[in-house]
Amino acid sequence: MSAVIDSLAARPPSQGGAVRAIANKEWLELRRHPRGRLLAWLISTLLLVSLLGGVLHHERAHQERDAAQQGDHEMWNSQGAKDPHGAAHFGQWAFKPPSLLGLADPGVDAYSGGAVWMEAHKRNDAQFRSARDSGVAARLGGLSLAFVLQVVLPLVIIVLGFDAVSGERERGTLRQLMAHGLPATTLVAGKALAMLRALAYLLVPLLLAMVVAAAVMAEPAERGDAVLRALTWVTAHGIYLAGFVALTMCLSSAAPSSRAALVLLLGLWLAATFFAPRLATEVSHAAVPLPSAQQFKRQIADGRAKGFGHDETHPGYLAFRDEVLKQYGVQRVEDLPVNMRGLALKRDDEIGYALYDDLFGKLNHQFDEQDRFRAWPGIAFPLLALQPVSMALAGTDRHHHAHFADAAEAHRRVIQTATSEDLIRNQKYGDTSYRANQDLWKSVPAFDYHPPSAAWALRQAALPLALTLLWATFCGGAAALAARRLRVVG
Amino acid sequence: MTSNISTVLRCELKLLRRDPAFWTVMVLLVCAVWLGIASTQRHLGEQAALVAAAQADEAARLDRLKAQLRDVEAGRVVPASPFRDPRSALWVGLTHGAQPVALPPAPLAVVAVGLSDLQPATVAVSARSKDEFLFAEEIRNPVHLLAGPIDLAFVLVYILPLAVLAICYNIVSAERENGTLALAASTGSDMRRVMLAKLAVRTGSPIAAALVAAGIGFAVASMAPSAAWGTLALCITVYGAFWGLLAGWVNGRGGSSAHNAMALAAAWIALVLVGPAALNLLSDTLYPVPTRAEMVLAARGATVEAERDRDATLARYRDESPENLPQEQQVGSAKERLARRVAVVDAATARVGEVIDRHDAQIVRRQTLIDRLSLLSPALLMQLAVTDVAGTGSTRYAAFHSELDGFHQQWRAFFMGRARADKALTEADYGAFPRFAATPALTENASGGTSWRLWGLIAMAAVCGVGAVRSIRHCESAAA
Repeated sequence: MSAVIDSLAARPPSQGGAVRAIANKEWLELRRHPRGRLLAWLISTLLLVSLLGGVLHHERAHQERDAAQQGDHEMWNSQGAKDPHGAAHFGQWAFKPPSLLGLADPGVDAYSGGAVWMEAHKRNDAQFRSARDSGVAARLGGLSLAFVLQVVLPLVIIVLGFDAVSGERERGTLRQLMAHGLPATTLVAGKALAMLRALAYLLVPLLLAMVVAAAVMAEPAERGDAVLRALTWVTAHGIYLAGFVALTMCLSSAAPSSRAALVLLLGLWLAATFFAPRLATEVSHAAVPLPSAQQFKRQIADGRAKGFGHDETHPGYLAFRDEVLKQYGVQRVEDLPVNMRGLALKRDDEIGYALYDDLFGKLNHQFDEQDRFRAWPGIAFPLLALQPVSMALAGTDRHHHAHFADAAEAHRRVIQTATSEDLIRNQKYGDTSYRANQDLWKSVPAFDYHPPSAAWALRQAALPLALTLLWATFCGGAAALAARRLRVVG
Repeated sequence: MTSNISTVLRCELKLLRRDPAFWTVMVLLVCAVWLGIASTQRHLGEQAALVAAAQADEAARLDRLKAQLRDVEAGRVVPASPFRDPRSALWVGLTHGAQPVALPPAPLAVVAVGLSDLQPATVAVSARSKDEFLFAEEIRNPVHLLAGPIDLAFVLVYILPLAVLAICYNIVSAERENGTLALAASTGSDMRRVMLAKLAVRTGSPIAAALVAAGIGFAVASMAPSAAWGTLALCITVYGAFWGLLAGWVNGRGGSSAHNAMALAAAWIALVLVGPAALNLLSDTLYPVPTRAEMVLAARGATVEAERDRDATLARYRDESPENLPQEQQVGSAKERLARRVAVVDAATARVGEVIDRHDAQIVRRQTLIDRLSLLSPALLMQLAVTDVAGTGSTRYAAFHSELDGFHQQWRAFFMGRARADKALTEADYGAFPRFAATPALTENASGGTSWRLWGLIAMAAVCGVGAVRSIRHCESAAA
C-alpha cells in the first residue's frame, strides 16, 4: 500500500484516479501473490475441464438423440400394413434434444426424463431419468461450468477478498491512507474494482469460448438465439459474482477482524450454497404437495371414464352414435358414408385432449407454485435465484422440459388425427381386415422439436432474475454503506 | 504419564465446556442430525403410503376381476372384448393383474434417501417386456431432485467435517499464538502426547455428539437396534477421525490459525465438493449412463419384426391351404389377435432383456470405476458407505432388480403359458397368481458393500494419523 500512500502524498488525485490507482495496486498484488496465482490456475483449469466435459457430453447426447429419433421415425414408416389404430397404439417416441447451453449447466435434464412415448389414448409423461442409473455418487454433483461459477468461484472471491479492508486495518495501513485524505468509499471501490477485473479476466475468455461454441455447434437457424443465451448466461453469472465481490467488501469493511469477516462470509456461502436450496426444497414440498403418480393416473382414469375408448356399449358412445346417425340422416351405422369406429375414436381423443390439458395444466401449475416458493428466498440466498435463471438460459430447466412435453403431446395429436381420419375415410363397416400402408405412415411428419427462444426463457425466469439483481444491488448498497461507516481502528 | 494425559483431557474438556463457539457448533450439529433423520422419516412415510396405496389398488382390482369372472362364468355378462375378459390370461397378465412390487426399507433406511427418491416406490410387474414397467416414474419436481434431500447422509458427509474442523483448526496454532505452547513445553510434558490428547477430545466431541444424536433420533423414529447401527457408528467415527487427524496434520506444520483455517477450508472444498464432482465428470466421460433409447428402439424393432413374421406366416399358410384356414389364422379374428399379441410380447421381451442386460453391464462397469475412484475422496466413500448402510444405494437396488427379474420370469411363465395354450383363467388360478417375496438377504440388507468402504476410510484416516503424529512431533521444537 506504500505506493498508493506515496502517490497520495505527492499529489491528491481525482476520485476516479484514486480508484484506478488502488485497483491497479491491488491487481498487481493479486498477480504476485502465490494465493492469487494458485487460485487463478485452479479456477482456469476447472473452467476448462468442465467446458470440455460439457462439450463432449453434449456431442455424445446430441448424436445419440438424433440417431434415436431417426431410428424411431424409420421404424414408424416401416411398420408394414396394419390397422391404423393399431399403428396409433404403436405410436412414436419423442426424444428430447440436448440443449446446446446444457454444456454449461446440465440443469434438471438428468432428473426430468428424456423421452416421451406418444401413443393412442394416453398422454405419457417423460421417462428415463438418467440420474436413476448414475448412482448415489452423482447426487454429490457433477463438474460443470455452472458448478464452478455458482459454487466454487464465490468461495474464491471470499478467500481472496475477506481481508481486503480488515487486513489494511490490522496492518495499520488503513489509518495512514485515511490520514492522506483518501475517502473510504474510494478505497473500497478500488479494491472491488481489482476483484472485478480479476473476474473479468476469467469471464471474458469464458464468454468468448461459449459464444464460439454456440456459433459453431448450434443449428444455423438457432445460432443467433444460442449466442444471445450464452451472452445473457455469462452476464447473469457476472452479476451474481459481482454481488459476492460487494458482499465480501461489505463484510471485510464492517467486521471487527479478518477472522470474523472470513467466518461470516464462509457461513453465508455455506448457507446459500448447501442449506438454503435443500431447506427451500423441503418447505416448498410441504407447502405445495404434488399428487402421487397413482393419484394422477386415477384422476386421468376417472376423466377418461367419461369418454368411451373402444367400448361400444358405453352410454357416451351410444349418444355419440345417435348424434352421428342423425347428422347423416340414416338409421343404421352400416348405412353411414363414413366409418363410425374412426369417428368414435376421434371424438374420444378430443374428450381426452381437454382432460389432459386440464390435468397436466394443473400439475404444471403446482410445479410453478413450488418453484416460486423456492425462488423467493433467493433475495437472501442468491443461488436460489440464480440457479433458475442459469437453467432457463441453458434450456435445461423445468419450463423447457414442459415445453418439450407439450410439443410431444401436440405431435401425438397429429398422429391420432391422421390415423382416425384414415379409418373414417377408408374402413368399411365391419371390415376387420382393413389395413393401411406406408403411404399413411409417411404422411405423418417426423417429430421435429424446436426449443423456445431466449426471450421466452427469460420470461420464465423473470422473478428469479429480478431477485438476483435485487440481491446484487443490495450487496452493492451495503458495501457502500459499510465503506462510509468504515472504522479506522478495530 | 497416564495421569498427565488424563489431566490434559480434563483441562481440554473444561476449556471446551466454557467455549460458546464449541457449544454453538455442537447444537448446530445435533439439530442438523435430527433434521436429517426427521426429513428422511417423512420421505419414508410418503414411500410407505405410496406402497400401501398401490397394494390397496391391486387388491381392489383383483376383487373386481374375480367378481367379473364369476359373472362371466355364470353367463350373466358377456365380455365386450378379450381385453375386458377376466378369463383372458394374456390381458390379465399384461395389464389388469399387474402386481405392485416394492423394495422393503432396510432396517436403517432413515439414514439416507439415496436413490429412493429417484426410483418409483413400487414397480407394477406384468407380463410385458421390462421396458414397459421398470422405468415408470413417480411425480416429483425435478428441481427438488436436483437440490437433493436433507438427510443424515448429507449431514454426515458435509456438516460433520465442518464441525470437526471448526473445533480443531487451531488446536496447535492457538496455543502457539497465545504463548501457552512454550509454557506447556517448559513443564517437560511430552508435547506430542499432549497435543494428540487434545486432538482426541476435540475430534471426539462432535463425533460423540453425532452418534448420540443419531441414536436418540433412531430411538424416536422407532428403528429397531441392528448390526447396521454398529457399522454406521464406525463409519461416523472413522470419517470424523479422518477430518480431525487432517486438522492435526495441518496444525503440526506450524502455520498460523488463519493459515490453518484457509488450508482446511481448501481441503474440505477439494475433498467434499470438487473431488466428487470431478470424479463424476470422469465416470460420465468414460462410462456414460445408457440413454435407454436403444432399449426403446429394440422393443419397437422386435414388435415390427414379430408382426411382419406373423404376417408372412399367415400369408404362407393362406397360400398353402386356403380352403382349410383355422380361426387363429384368420386376420382380425380374436384368436389371431391373441396369437399375434403373444408373439409380439415374447419377441419384445427377449430383445429388451438383451439390451437391458447390456445396459446393466455398462452401469456395473461405471459403478466399479466410481468404487475405485472413491478411494480418492473420503466424502464420496462416506456417501457410498452410508447409503449402503441405509439400503438405498446402487448395490441394494441392483439386488432388488435381480430378484425382480426372477419374479418377472415367474409371472410370464404363469400367464403367457396359459395364453399360449389359450387356457381361460379360473377363480383357482386367481388364488395361485405368483406373489413377490424378497429374499432375507434383500430384506435384511445383507448384500451391502459397506465393509470395504469402511476399510478405505480407515486407510485414509490412518494416512492422516501418520501425518498428524509426524508433524505434531515438531511441536516441541517449534514451542522452544
